[in-house]
Amino acid sequence: MIRATLLAVLAGAMLLAGTAGASAQTGGLVSGAVTGVERNDAGELTAFSIVDETGATHRFQVGADTEYGLENQAGDRWTAKHSAEPVEAARRLEDNQRRFAPVTVSASGGEALSVVQKESGRLETNLGYLFAVFAVTWAAFFAYIFVVSRRQRDLDRQIAQLKATLEEDS
Amino acid sequence: MHTLSQTEPTGRHNPFMKSISLLRDWNWLLALSVVLTALTLYMAFVWAPTEANQGAIQRSIYIHVPVAWVSMMAMVALAVFSIIYLRTGRARWDRLSAATAETGLVFGALMLLTGVIWARPVWGVWWTGEAKLTTALILFFIYVAYLMFRTYFPPGAQRQRLAAVIALIGAIDTPIIYWAANLWAEAHPPVIIGPARDTESAVGPEIGITMLVGAVSFFVLFLYIVVQRYRTRCAEDEVMELNRHVGATQAAGA
Repeated sequence: MIRATLLAVLAGAMLLAGTAGASAQTGGLVSGAVTGVERNDAGELTAFSIVDETGATHRFQVGADTEYGLENQAGDRWTAKHSAEPVEAARRLEDNQRRFAPVTVSASGGEALSVVQKESGRLETNLGYLFAVFAVTWAAFFAYIFVVSRRQRDLDRQIAQLKATLEEDS
Repeated sequence: MHTLSQTEPTGRHNPFMKSISLLRDWNWLLALSVVLTALTLYMAFVWAPTEANQGAIQRSIYIHVPVAWVSMMAMVALAVFSIIYLRTGRARWDRLSAATAETGLVFGALMLLTGVIWARPVWGVWWTGEAKLTTALILFFIYVAYLMFRTYFPPGAQRQRLAAVIALIGAIDTPIIYWAANLWAEAHPPVIIGPARDTESAVGPEIGITMLVGAVSFFVLFLYIVVQRYRTRCAEDEVMELNRHVGATQAAGA
């Protein structure tokens, strides 16, 4: 009984967390087309702006720790930290702007933490896989614990019966 | 041996005795696991940020990596229990080895399954022949081989000794899995924890802490399942023993 209650509580927690996760999975992320790239005198990227699908414009500062994962027209991916290649970062974003290739930005307090090529529809597609990972794992554990518990109960019953038989015989 | 599971009939209505009984039944491990799992789920879906490169599927890390760690740790524990069995010859260590192997197999299977599901959207394939995947698959087969040997070899001390030797040989795979991503740089990222930790591959603090809480949660669940399987093994042995006694008593009576 206690075990069943605990398992029910766990299942409830999973459902709650899953619901929270579905609403939280886009938090901190903005996707859209690059509309402006700002450089300093040395040609290094300092800020950029994007317009999202609702038409709202977002401006992001970049810092030394900003990470890039951007693809060219051929699909070759370029990854770097801002501190290592600030000029190339500006050039890559301008290339995205020219091609209207959308990017996804994760940001904190107006500063971009990462700027990556947006892969359309991928987050939605991924949710099914994510659900599968959690569902398969917990279903397997529930099933295994259930089977082991039932086996234990059967064995306890057999032991009691055999002991009774022994007592009768003796 | 199975008295671990027995409750005190005289204390059924006494809350203190019920608490003691709960502790002795090891259900507190399940309760702790439930609490830690709920905490892990909250941290994974609400507290930890969404990773920009992979999106939502990256949250699989909070299941896949802890399950993989526990699976590898189970193999190390199996080797340790086997060594102790070979040194002492006590049946309890053999039972514990069997319980650990079976639980390790469940964790190993889930490590592979969750990895396969995660690989599809991120790598574009369900499976590749890269080093870490291959050595992890070998770990799974080692568990299968160990348990098949125990199932099909005639019971007795020889089976237990040979099983212990198989476990020791199988444990060699564990460090290879750990270092595989560093030794053969392929699809898997380099190691992020332990002596071979690659600082370039470090994860953010929120992701790292959530992963560690997940690992503790799965470790507690692992302990609970091992205890339950150990009790079952003890009960199975007791049933065999009692059957022998009943048979002998009835034969004597006839």
